[in-house]
Amino acid sequence: MSHSHPIPTEHASVSRRGFLKVAGGGVAGSSLLTMLAARQAPAQIKGTTLRILTWSHYIPAYDVWFDKWSAQWGEKNGVKVKVDHIPHLELPARMAAEFAAGAGHDIILNNATILVRLYYKSLLDMTDVYEDLGKRHGGWIPAAKSPIEVEGRMYAIPMYYILLPMLWRKDLFEAAGLKPPDTWDLARVAGRTLKAKGNPTGIALAHCNDANLVWRSVAFSFGATEADPSGDNPTLDSKEMREALRFGKALFDEGMTPEVFSWDDASDNRFLASGIAGWIHDAISAYRTTESTNPTVFKNTYVGMEPAGPGGKRVNCVAPIVFLSWKFTKNPQGAKEYLTALVDADKDGMVASTGYNMPFLNDMAKKPMPVIGSDPKLQVLQDFPKIVGFFGYPGPYTPQIQEVANLFVFPDIFTRVARGESVDASLNWGVGEYRRIFAKHKRA
Amino acid sequence: MTSSVPSGGPDAASARAAAVSLGPQSRTRGWLSHPSSRRLAFGYMLLAPAALYVLLLVGVPFLFSLYLAVSDANVGEPLSRFIGLENFRAAWEMDTFWIALRNSVVFLVVAAIFKSVLGTSLAFLLLQNFKGKKLVRGLVVIPFTLPIAISVLSWKWMYDSQFSVINWSLSRLGLIGSYGSASWPIWLGQPHLALLACIGVNVWRSFPFTAIVLLAGFTSVPTEILDAARVDGCSFFQRFRHVVTPMIFPILIIGFLFDTVFTLSDLSVVYLLTAGGPGNATQILPVLAYQIGIQAGSLGRGAAIALTLVPLLFPALFLVLRNLKRRDW
Repeated sequence: MSHSHPIPTEHASVSRRGFLKVAGGGVAGSSLLTMLAARQAPAQIKGTTLRILTWSHYIPAYDVWFDKWSAQWGEKNGVKVKVDHIPHLELPARMAAEFAAGAGHDIILNNATILVRLYYKSLLDMTDVYEDLGKRHGGWIPAAKSPIEVEGRMYAIPMYYILLPMLWRKDLFEAAGLKPPDTWDLARVAGRTLKAKGNPTGIALAHCNDANLVWRSVAFSFGATEADPSGDNPTLDSKEMREALRFGKALFDEGMTPEVFSWDDASDNRFLASGIAGWIHDAISAYRTTESTNPTVFKNTYVGMEPAGPGGKRVNCVAPIVFLSWKFTKNPQGAKEYLTALVDADKDGMVASTGYNMPFLNDMAKKPMPVIGSDPKLQVLQDFPKIVGFFGYPGPYTPQIQEVANLFVFPDIFTRVARGESVDASLNWGVGEYRRIFAKHKRA
Repeated sequence: MTSSVPSGGPDAASARAAAVSLGPQSRTRGWLSHPSSRRLAFGYMLLAPAALYVLLLVGVPFLFSLYLAVSDANVGEPLSRFIGLENFRAAWEMDTFWIALRNSVVFLVVAAIFKSVLGTSLAFLLLQNFKGKKLVRGLVVIPFTLPIAISVLSWKWMYDSQFSVINWSLSRLGLIGSYGSASWPIWLGQPHLALLACIGVNVWRSFPFTAIVLLAGFTSVPTEILDAARVDGCSFFQRFRHVVTPMIFPILIIGFLFDTVFTLSDLSVVYLLTAGGPGNATQILPVLAYQIGIQAGSLGRGAAIALTLVPLLFPALFLVLRNLKRRDW
């Protein structure tokens, strides 16, 4: 018969609970590292389920590839994978509902509206996956951390970003004797010249994501900034921003029509496809769709580098796409393993997206990149990774910046100027809104 | 120690105890023995599910939003603390909030006027006897029954700055210039026009509901009374003003209340058409509350913005219902 009481030890320095915690953590950590190093799913995830919530990609072929790849990964690793696609504008509401319920998908995509800093206390720490991927793929591009880093930890995995380059009609430019729109001044001259010939330009001055992105690209290229590097203080009130607003007013008056006040994210695509636009500043989906809808426009549309501002600076404000996972997920290991494999397969994803998805990893961004590296018209996109910026530039992607973006304050400042309000009055209004929003978040 | 009971019946103490223990039961039985009380209890029993339904589906969310409005709750923070009226103060400091409040009131009033006129006209038309009346009655409710996202997206196409079917039709009729001319309306781009365009879609969706409510009222007016008024020499408008309206007043009021609530809480039309743009020209409180509360994650401020209209609506609601009760319909 054995002794039923524990034997007291005077020199025990570790409690049983403490020992189990440390040992358990060590085993889990080392198995994950081993698994990541071996690129092989651990036996623990076999028989588990992984539910993924993602958007409906602008390139439907990418969704087809994504679903197929996910199913194949599931089969290979013995994981039941279920992918749900919803419009990206519905993602914030869906995340809020899942958080409130404490249940839902294991992996969720954020597109442009990045909610990492809002939920990070309830998100899975992905630092190990982020570092492993960086190590194996030549590091991340400098902008990659901005949307996902909180207090030195990574709470999401950057997947890809969507560029909005210049899409200009070479035939119209040449007929009018215009130079390619390599600077914003050249773009303005082209707008003025081509509008007179019935081919105006257009950048949305409305409540849509394109307006949020493109007017920021203009202002940042003029040297303006949105927040300081800490992200705590707005820095909008500057002479560079005033200069950008004056430019925006001139560009609207000389090269656009009031249509831009009513535009949504697809309007400029239609504007280009209709054959009317002289140039637009939009994602390459606008160019791609003309291939079937208007082959003449497709043939004559060229993709240009982000125009330089007066000081030669170029910043392209892009929409990042990241994947995150809840802390309450029942399959954290499966989520990490899936995301690692997905990023590893990103080159296939780039091919499936026909060059729409831009990689965050340096090795993947090396020339020649898939699809765009072999297309003479799109090769210029390979030079964008070094000029990429996000909302809040040069600061991080904070909740206050997210609120500013949700309320379209930035494009509204340009809208007010375009409608005839003075630059100072418009900027004062915008700065006031920024300060109030930042102050509210500081108080919170 | 117990005493003996010579007669074999209960002793006085146990009889008293029995009386005490059976007291409430017998009193309840006594109260329920009255037919009127039984009817009352039965009535309450029938009302209970509806009361519970309202309490759970309206009362609880309302109280929860009150709680959110006075807390620093955000979508990513499970615990929140009481911050008093800070969220309301923060909302009132926003320029956009006042624009949204003004637009919401304009939206409500203008939409109500159009819905009243169009709904009443349609109800009178549907009262007439004509061939295919049943089919037409079925067709007019289509806007109300279509999924809102589909119908609003259709309108978005009709309002498109370049391909608007409305503009191309007007242009072909020679009423406006060609595409690109100054007279070519940009429905969702010109501030006043954009708000009117949003109101137009709301009216298009809702006026069949107004018409159906009025139609139900009109058909309940006895024809003898209308005939009597006609014999007395009342014109159509006099009959409508002095006979029909007072008789269907309760229905009108209930319809009015429904419509006010539906219009003020209508997020979809504006959100899908303009998201509050351009330059906040169509911003309304429900859209602003959604953008701040859900998209930006500040649940507390979102709730405070959404609740702003409650203090304005409560007195109106109280006056309307009191008026209704006084009429004793």
